[in-house]
Amino acid sequence: MPYWNDWGYFKPKPRIEKKGGIKSQSKRGNFGDTWWGKRWIAVLESFNLGARLTRGRSYARNGSVLAIDIASGEVKAKVQGSFPQPYKITIKLKALPDKDWRKLAESLSTQAIFAAKLLAGEMPQEIEEAFKAEGLALFPGKAGDLETDCSCPDWSNPCKHIAAVYYLLGEEFDRDPFLLFKLRGMERDKFIQLLGAATPTAKDEAAELLPPEPLNAEAVIYWQGALLPPDWLGEARTPPVAAAVLQRLGNFPFWRGNETVSDALRGAYMNASARGLEVLAGSEQ
Amino acid sequence: MLWGEAAPETVAPAPKRKTKARKAETWLYDAGAARLLQALGEVVDGLNIEADDTLPLTLWLPAFKGQALASSVFIADARPDLTAPQLSPFVVTALPLATVEAVELLAHCMQRTTLAAGLLVGNDLAYWANVLRWAGALTVRQQFMPGVQTAEGNYYARWQPLLTGNEAQRLTQLAQAMPHACRAAAIDDAAPDTAARTVLREALGVFLDQLIRDSTPSTSVKPSGKKAKASFDSLHDHWLHALRAEQATLEGTPAELQQLATQVRDWQRPLTATTATAFRLCFRLEEPEDESDGSALSSRRKATSSWYVRYLLQAMDEQSLLVPVAEAWQPKKPTAKVLQRGGFKPREYLLAALGQAASLHPSLEASLKTAAPAGYALDATGAHQFLTESAWLLEQAGYGVMLPAWWTRKGTKLSLTARARTTTPKFQGSGGLGLSEIVQFNWEMALGDEALTYAELEALAKLKAPLVKVRGLWVQLNADEIAAALDFWKKHPQGEATVRELVQMSLGAGEKAGGVKVSGVNADGWIADFLAQLNGNTAFTEQVVPDEFNGVLRPYQVRGYSWLAFLRQWGLGACLADDMGLGKTIQTLALIEQDWHAQSEKARRPVLLICPMSVVSNWQKEAARFTPDLPVLIHHGATRLKSAAFKRAAQPQAIVLSSYALLHRDQALFDQVAWSGVILDEAQNIKNAATKQSRAARALKSDYRIALTGTPVENNVGDLWSLMEFLNPGFLSTQAAFKRNFFVPIQAQGDQEATERLKRMTSPFILRRLKTDKTIISDLPDKLEMKVFCTLTKEQASLYEAVVKDLSATLDGGSEGIQRKGAVLAAMTKLKQVCNHPAQFLGDNSALPGRSGKLARLTEMLEEVMALDERALVFTQFSEMGELIRKHLQEAFGREVIFLHGGVAKKQRDRMVERFQEADAQSPRIFLLSLKAGGTGLNLTQANHVFHFDRWWNPAVENQATDRAFRIGQRRNVQVHKYLCAGTLEERIDEMIERKQSLAASIVGTGEGWLTELSNDALKDLFALRQEAVGE
Repeated sequence: MPYWNDWGYFKPKPRIEKKGGIKSQSKRGNFGDTWWGKRWIAVLESFNLGARLTRGRSYARNGSVLAIDIASGEVKAKVQGSFPQPYKITIKLKALPDKDWRKLAESLSTQAIFAAKLLAGEMPQEIEEAFKAEGLALFPGKAGDLETDCSCPDWSNPCKHIAAVYYLLGEEFDRDPFLLFKLRGMERDKFIQLLGAATPTAKDEAAELLPPEPLNAEAVIYWQGALLPPDWLGEARTPPVAAAVLQRLGNFPFWRGNETVSDALRGAYMNASARGLEVLAGSEQ
Repeated sequence: MLWGEAAPETVAPAPKRKTKARKAETWLYDAGAARLLQALGEVVDGLNIEADDTLPLTLWLPAFKGQALASSVFIADARPDLTAPQLSPFVVTALPLATVEAVELLAHCMQRTTLAAGLLVGNDLAYWANVLRWAGALTVRQQFMPGVQTAEGNYYARWQPLLTGNEAQRLTQLAQAMPHACRAAAIDDAAPDTAARTVLREALGVFLDQLIRDSTPSTSVKPSGKKAKASFDSLHDHWLHALRAEQATLEGTPAELQQLATQVRDWQRPLTATTATAFRLCFRLEEPEDESDGSALSSRRKATSSWYVRYLLQAMDEQSLLVPVAEAWQPKKPTAKVLQRGGFKPREYLLAALGQAASLHPSLEASLKTAAPAGYALDATGAHQFLTESAWLLEQAGYGVMLPAWWTRKGTKLSLTARARTTTPKFQGSGGLGLSEIVQFNWEMALGDEALTYAELEALAKLKAPLVKVRGLWVQLNADEIAAALDFWKKHPQGEATVRELVQMSLGAGEKAGGVKVSGVNADGWIADFLAQLNGNTAFTEQVVPDEFNGVLRPYQVRGYSWLAFLRQWGLGACLADDMGLGKTIQTLALIEQDWHAQSEKARRPVLLICPMSVVSNWQKEAARFTPDLPVLIHHGATRLKSAAFKRAAQPQAIVLSSYALLHRDQALFDQVAWSGVILDEAQNIKNAATKQSRAARALKSDYRIALTGTPVENNVGDLWSLMEFLNPGFLSTQAAFKRNFFVPIQAQGDQEATERLKRMTSPFILRRLKTDKTIISDLPDKLEMKVFCTLTKEQASLYEAVVKDLSATLDGGSEGIQRKGAVLAAMTKLKQVCNHPAQFLGDNSALPGRSGKLARLTEMLEEVMALDERALVFTQFSEMGELIRKHLQEAFGREVIFLHGGVAKKQRDRMVERFQEADAQSPRIFLLSLKAGGTGLNLTQANHVFHFDRWWNPAVENQATDRAFRIGQRRNVQVHKYLCAGTLEERIDEMIERKQSLAASIVGTGEGWLTELSNDALKDLFALRQEAVGE
């Protein structure tokens, strides 16, 4: 940007404030919680982008990235810069051919950990070794492996907009490692199948519509119902691990809020236990 | 809004009372707006609801050929003849409640059957209160997650229950238990048929959401302006805010809201989606194989085998069927067949389940680096972490977890404790010894029962293992705790305490020593004897009943009396909580007698005995019978003594008898006297520590304190503190600490360990024996007859006197023959009616509570019967009184009371008998009978109590009635309670019959006619009201 100003073609413009864009869930420090997220970011940071990297990081944090779409071999994104019209970005990474994936899957099948962890949404650390053993690479190794493009006037590539998208991709991979596989040309379900596992067919009862149950007019059934065993409620202990549900839920996909979910809601879990006890103890004391 | 529809459905049926039908389609029993509001006002304070707020609501209710069938017999008699009821729409008056109001109302209804006299909790309302309890439990367990709910095109930020594992089972259980009335609200015109599960889920969600909102301080990020959405940077911010704000509504374009809902659902999916597989993964923690000598204290301890977590597959439909995962990867024939059920695919399931489990419990990750993981080994620290944290996490996520029995068994977990060891010289056991005696002792540390040396404790500290095995038992250790204990021990090898403090320590009720719980006292000499007796480990000496005592105690009563004397000797408070009819009164009187004679005449001081007004006469009569030599002062009524006169009069007495009502009012009077003892009869009257009478009771000064009660005190944790604070101040610490350490864990969390601990601390001071106890039953006669002396209320007394005055006038007027006879018999009937209840005499349908001593006493005694889950027959000769008793008891207990009188048809009578004899939880507990209709022929052996509310003066007739319960088929002792109003003709006729037992058969046997043969003076004397009869 400096030389644009030096040449006087146009005045420096502040970035257009855009609210509600995708926001990084890491507010400071490094991006990427998981080893694979960090590993992805490390590739970018090895390119010596200097100030663009810093700017990209703050773009990732302030919600400038408006949309990200991941497809096989290609990522498309929109980033709000100083032009009213958001910039269009593409990041291309070579998809691996099917036969390479099969070879890989075969070697991964010898240990339960690969399938198990992938199904649980985690990338087992050993997977990089497994790729290497087959002569493949999961992550881009050098700048040339990535083909990046941005519609901004900056000639340098990758620019800060690309960097921002790249950072956010790291976070998305944190959440769902299969997105990385998707980018490399392999769909989740297909790969799971290659590993001899299967995504469990789960049902969400809350969303289900149950068949109608007509009422019965017989007095006991109608007015009294069935008796509950005396211990039906079980013990109501405060859990040893607070707000474990939030921990299990993990990061929210493409989060746009200012506060993270767990920061905002942890307090609600802490207070809830006390309130519950109050209800159970009754109004007596 | 859900509650616009559902709340009225829950509220409306509750306070129904019989009213006349107004319109054809109106429900016959609709309570109407005014009563609904009044009822609600009685229960919940400060609701801002007015009559205009009520709405007509259409419910589908059961009726037969146009005849409405009421929800319970309290509303209208059951109609067994209407056999095939149908549902059709009726209109009721309903009150829509906001969620917050509904939650408050339900909180008041929890585990109660009545809210106020005559205001009963309907079964459907009680059901919703249970759902609220569940919501409370889910809140405590933090089993909920943030979500988005859609309803009628609107979106709301909602907290949603997470129903996995055990909670999923509860959902099924509760949905099956739902009374269909809970789903009666009509939607459109069709008959309601929403699945119980759906209705339950919805209500649970609403309650839960409300509870969490209640507890969450509103977020500091307040939206500016009215349009909430405009001020949020994103819909995500809006959602987070709406989860913690009063207003849950989300605003935005339909597309973005829909997208949010989808995102949230996707995000929740790993937790909410349940895989309905035939097996589930189960983790079993296995102990190391036994080590050489099994002791962590031995220096030869070698690190042999380790702990192991074994993976198993557990069949969902047969939880005892466990297949080791090791065999499931490539199952051989028999196993393969077992695993085939429900199309189960072991490999696919295990990979997914282990992966998810690994993210909750990373320690198992290493085990997955093989093709067929079977489990993994862990050290003591790992095992401890598994026991305390991971087991819970895995269980919450729906996996099976099996832990060693010593961990899960309640109250048996061993841990480091401190004990006091004292050596005291042999001391003679009686007199002079007190609880304030100061005793020296040495501290010692122990694991379970094992005392440790300093070196051993140091060795344990060096192990740094949270779980160690000491002499065959696993013990949980905390490094910081051991360090603190070592430090404390070094600095304070010795201590001193009063015997009272030692008692507390021995019961585990003492203060902590150096951060370690004090578990007991290791003593010898008289302290050891004393503590062993107190804890019931050795029997105390049976005391001799003083010669002056005019009666014979049964063997168990001698034990009870000796126990009272033992605690009295030490100045410790005692609660005698024997079952009704076992003779708490006589045991107490024996103690007072003994105490009186044990002291020199000059040193004698009175006992203050406080009881409910309704039993003052009874105490008086019993004292006159068993301890005739003891001077007794009755302190009640308007003419009672004041100030110095009271002190002067009280001083020489053995017993001063007064009532709870005066306990507070005359507190200043009572404070003037240095009482020898204070005895509270029906001590449940001080169960609420905050009431004035409880405070007054605690403030009284005396050498010893005794509480008598027939209700099972130990079952009501909340009431225990007040009782114990009266008996032994400070033993259960402050009320706040008690609430924290016992009340909440026991009442709200169902904590067995806390229950055990509390029991240990209180049991030395509570003696409760049941009629059914083996040692008691052999001492008891099969039939136990007791007279219950009741007191008249002021109103009863003045009515009584008016009737007597009338009769005197007639007699003095010189009437003779038939006329005189008629007047005497009429007066007698009137007097009996007055003794029963003014409302019976006046026949004016006026209010019942608080106007009859008999009815008050009957209610109190039946409450004990109900608390023991026993059954009773109540006989009266007046069917109008029967109707009054029935109404009163039903309103007081919220349970059905059946009444058999002359007007009941045979078929219906048979049905009543049948229902009463059923051993069913729902069947009636109290059977009211008119002497004429129910006195003969029936077999009612389910009852083991018989009450004669009024007397027929004919022992043969009464015995015949009693024999309804006391006959072949009766396996328990039968208690017969005959009610009498003291100081009235009831008592005097009873005396006459007793005196003339031999004559009774010939003269009395014919009825009451013989009374008319008495002379005028004899009649006047018979009828005259004695001063003692009147209460307040």
